[in-house]
Amino acid sequence: MAKEILSLRNVEKSFGDTMVLKDISLEVTQGEVVSIIGSSGGGKSTLLRCATLLETFERGYLAYEDIVVAQPGPDGRAVYADKATLKKARSKFGLVFQNFNLFPHRTVLQNVMDAPVRVQKIDKEEARAMALELLAKFGLAGKEDMVPNELSGGQLQRVAIARALCTKPDILFFDEPTSALDPELTQDVLRIIRDLAEEHMTMVIVTHEMTFARDVSDRVIFMDKGVIVEEGTPEQVIDHPRHERTRAFLRKIYD
Amino acid sequence: MQMMSVVLPDLGAGFVLSLEIFVVTLLGALPLGIVIALARMSKFKPLSLVARVYISFMRGTPLMLQLMALMFGPYYLLGVNMGSGWKFGACAIGFILNYAAYFAEIYRSGIQSIPVGHYEAAEVLGYSRAQTFFYIVLPQVIKRILPAMGNEVITLVKDTSLAFVLGIAEMFTEAKALAASFVSMIPYVIAAAIYWIFTLVVEFILNKTEKKLDYYHD
Repeated sequence: MAKEILSLRNVEKSFGDTMVLKDISLEVTQGEVVSIIGSSGGGKSTLLRCATLLETFERGYLAYEDIVVAQPGPDGRAVYADKATLKKARSKFGLVFQNFNLFPHRTVLQNVMDAPVRVQKIDKEEARAMALELLAKFGLAGKEDMVPNELSGGQLQRVAIARALCTKPDILFFDEPTSALDPELTQDVLRIIRDLAEEHMTMVIVTHEMTFARDVSDRVIFMDKGVIVEEGTPEQVIDHPRHERTRAFLRKIYD
Repeated sequence: MQMMSVVLPDLGAGFVLSLEIFVVTLLGALPLGIVIALARMSKFKPLSLVARVYISFMRGTPLMLQLMALMFGPYYLLGVNMGSGWKFGACAIGFILNYAAYFAEIYRSGIQSIPVGHYEAAEVLGYSRAQTFFYIVLPQVIKRILPAMGNEVITLVKDTSLAFVLGIAEMFTEAKALAASFVSMIPYVIAAAIYWIFTLVVEFILNKTEKKLDYYHD
């Protein structure tokens, strides 16, 4: 059986009085590609933000392999691990944002190689070689010394993916990676994610691109109003949805 | 001509003192301003409140009064005689404390303008809070606040003349004394010209820096 990279169990999260994640469980095994679909406000992004420690949840369990990030305490509320453990957990995943969040004052190459050097203390030359290789692979050779504002949106997102990969994560999260892009630039980015899927990179992708989700995913999750309504292979969830909420959502997308 | 041979060296000596006040103030207030800005933005409410009150007081009372209070406070309040050299200490401390308050608010405006996404990206990549501040946030802040900082720095050039009230022989003090002894406007005119040239140099340096940081846009 494949190794379990991410385990999220019975997660509950509220903003004020509104519960945005209701008893969510998600396990991702090595090499698996999971897409999360659903309408805005359904909790997809919040789930990703909880998994990447940008948000904390009130109840539930979260672990990256054997690193337990949060688990229920005696009163049932989630208790987070100490700083050192969280740091270790952070080295396990990467996150690609909808709006890239590259550092505008640093060159493309610096954006990609800085975290490995500064955070992971990897040898500078080694990190540079790794960064250059990733950039070349993503069709960005020759752009190393440019700054982000000289690149197109599609190129920016490819740099952001390279940056996330340069820290050698075990799992990569994408938060609507093409939502901020013009339609003609979307394909560039999707192609890269497809390539990564073929290399069996473990990925969790929040997306509105149904065709892409169907092609690339091993598993599709449909979320609505803070719960996982339906989950299964792309054929099951996208082509033959069983639940009315899933059908309604897909109808809206395809119209 | 005979007047000039007295006026120029005296104003020159005064200018050196003005320049010293200027440099010492910047060396002290630029870093202190960051500390105050961070305190002001702290989630720890009492600290934030202290910083708020500090900034309000420093901006809300005259620098001249603050200088006098520092100069004579030790004696009036504690009966301590600080000696004749104290006026320079009072002057440096007064300028640094006052300017740091203004700088703090400029830093704050810059820090708060950095998109939250940059902090989040840094966090996910594993940067510590200090690394995030010094490598990601501060370099961007410097570019954003440069015009506002420029204003303050140019104001400081001229504010150095307030050291006059402490009897420090900076350029304005010298100009006033010379004007009185020669019964002439000339020392004032020359002093004004030197202040102006000083600010032109500061402007030149600011422009250069701005150009240097122009390699990227947000």
